[in-house]
Amino acid sequence: MLFRVVLSAAAAAAPSLKNAALLGPGVLQATRIFHTGQPSLAPVPPLPEYGGKVRLGLIPEEFFQFLYPKTGVTGPYMLGTGLILYFLSKEIYVITPETITTVSTVGLLVYAIKKYGASVAQFADKLNEQKIARLEEVKQASMKYIQDAIDFEKAQQALVQKRHYLFDVQRNNIAMALEVTYRERLHRVYKEVKNRLDYHISVQNMMRRKEQEHMINWVEKNVVQSISTQQEKETIAKCIQDLKLLAKKAQAQPVM
Amino acid sequence: MAGRKLALKTIDWVAFGEIIPRNQKTIANSLKSWNEILTSRLATLPEAPPAIDWAYYKANVAKAGLVDDFEKKFNALKIPVPEDKFTALVDAEEKDDVKSCAEFLSLSKTRIEEYERQLEKLRNIIPFDQMTIDDLNEAFPETKLDNTKYPYWPHQPIESL
Repeated sequence: MLFRVVLSAAAAAAPSLKNAALLGPGVLQATRIFHTGQPSLAPVPPLPEYGGKVRLGLIPEEFFQFLYPKTGVTGPYMLGTGLILYFLSKEIYVITPETITTVSTVGLLVYAIKKYGASVAQFADKLNEQKIARLEEVKQASMKYIQDAIDFEKAQQALVQKRHYLFDVQRNNIAMALEVTYRERLHRVYKEVKNRLDYHISVQNMMRRKEQEHMINWVEKNVVQSISTQQEKETIAKCIQDLKLLAKKAQAQPVM
Repeated sequence: MAGRKLALKTIDWVAFGEIIPRNQKTIANSLKSWNEILTSRLATLPEAPPAIDWAYYKANVAKAGLVDDFEKKFNALKIPVPEDKFTALVDAEEKDDVKSCAEFLSLSKTRIEEYERQLEKLRNIIPFDQMTIDDLNEAFPETKLDNTKYPYWPHQPIESL
């Protein structure tokens, strides 16, 4: 009977204990049938969250419901009291020193479980939850890893579409280099021909200028030679006279 | 000597940068800089040189047949187009690359399928709080404890606890 106490106090623990449901309140619930026919019922349906309801921690609720139509609410209690008194009076149950120890032990146990049962159950639940959370974390991490791998592969596939740019650049470079060479050659030819023609023209120009200068010098030389000494004296005398006249005129002007 | 039409493909430089692996970045950069140098040189050179004014030269050069001679030879001159030995190499390389890319694609696809399968398997396992130890061993075979190799508890090398 102490099993019921333990099970009802530590309700949602250890789901991996398959047999707990068998011995527990499932006897009257009879919702699931174990060890019949085919052994594989996988996946096993989840265990019920809480055990069946009990009164006084011992007697399942179904008993009270069973007696309710005939004896009402107080029926089972009267039955219990009557039975206990019957056992005591007829000495079917003998009061010995063991009774005292039983009463005190049971009292202590009930008190301890009532006071600390919930917190112990909570602690056990937390341990279990931590285990499950760790497993869940591992599962999520591997799922994320696989998803990342898939995305990476997809990105690589997208990049493959762009490979041709590399070769386009190379081909463009080659075409441009060829075109540049060709144009440079054209320009060079033009420059060379033009240079030669310009050279001819500038040589002609220079010759012409030289001839002109030479002729002018020759003409001047001849003219200077042709001026005889007599003519020179006469020209100088005339120049001096002109200058004197000019000087007089110049002196006269500022006085005025 | 007439200029030819240059058929250049437009380049998406962002995509070009994306496909280069890290250890070949310098080569890619040199390719890019060559491209820029060549485009700038191409831009500075006009398509054809300016025409020579033959009439002016004919009027001014004293020597009789010189200008005519030059003109005849100039018009008869055909400048050779530089021959293209390298585009063929690039094309061959591109063909090989296309082949290896196709191979890579197919391998990548098989890898993706493998990953998808594993992902499906992971998605379909029952929630952990409804599992038993046997179910756990089925879903993750590496958790199974080997009772024949390690007959005594904890059935696994102690270091791995």
